[in-house]
Amino acid sequence: MRRKHGSLSVEEEENEINLTPMLDVVFIMLIFFIVTATFIKEAGIQVERPDTVTAEKQEDASILIAISATDEIWIDRKERDPRQVRSIIERLHAENPKGSIVIQADEGSTHEVLVIVMDAAKQAGVTNVAIASDDD
Amino acid sequence: MRKHLDDIHFDDEENEINLTPMLDVVFIMLIFFIVTASFIKEAGLDVNRPDAPQTVSKPEDANILVMINANDEIWIDRRLIDPRAVRANIERLHAENPEGSVVIQANKKSTNKMLVSVMDSARSAGVYNISIAQ
Repeated sequence: MRRKHGSLSVEEEENEINLTPMLDVVFIMLIFFIVTATFIKEAGIQVERPDTVTAEKQEDASILIAISATDEIWIDRKERDPRQVRSIIERLHAENPKGSIVIQADEGSTHEVLVIVMDAAKQAGVTNVAIASDDD
Repeated sequence: MRKHLDDIHFDDEENEINLTPMLDVVFIMLIFFIVTASFIKEAGLDVNRPDAPQTVSKPEDANILVMINANDEIWIDRRLIDPRAVRANIERLHAENPEGSVVIQANKKSTNKMLVSVMDSARSAGVYNISIAQ
């Protein structure tokens, strides 16, 4: 009886699942997701985007700049002065040099502010600029 | 002596590191990164593609000029055009001159709705090389 009990305990120990391979896989997935995670700087306000039919998905957008209907510029959840825009874009672009800029211009915002933002992006060295729109 | 050996064996088993809490933490981190990795896909129109060769070589080579004035009226070829007719007009001008790109000259006070509408019309007409005069 005692002997039988002993052998049962050995079997139970043998039947324990070896977690090491799963741990390896999980770690590799973790490292993959940490490395590929590119955090998008969101603008911070909702704008009424113009409707279009030919919009394309902007895959590598990393900086979102919103222009509200009252011509305020929002970057990174704060309202910014037009003169600051260039230095902010430079700083955000340095964090993720491969990302592009998407300008979310409200339907009612004026062309003047859009040009200010596009000019600042060009001066900051970002050539890939797109204007956000709603696609159906 | 035998008892001593048994004790050592017992100690060894107790000293094995319990991986379960670490596994929990790693899983939570994994889930966090998977959830935050849902990239925002912003739809949009590209402005002035940098790889367009004709804008560099022949900048003034009979481009299609579209003007938007302060009252959001669209003028092409010295004529006032309805926003719905922009596409047909650009198509016609593009057929006359397939090399030319669309240049939009917008007034400072015009709204971006009209600008994007003109860009969209140009893209529907098959002209993807659009620049905005500054």
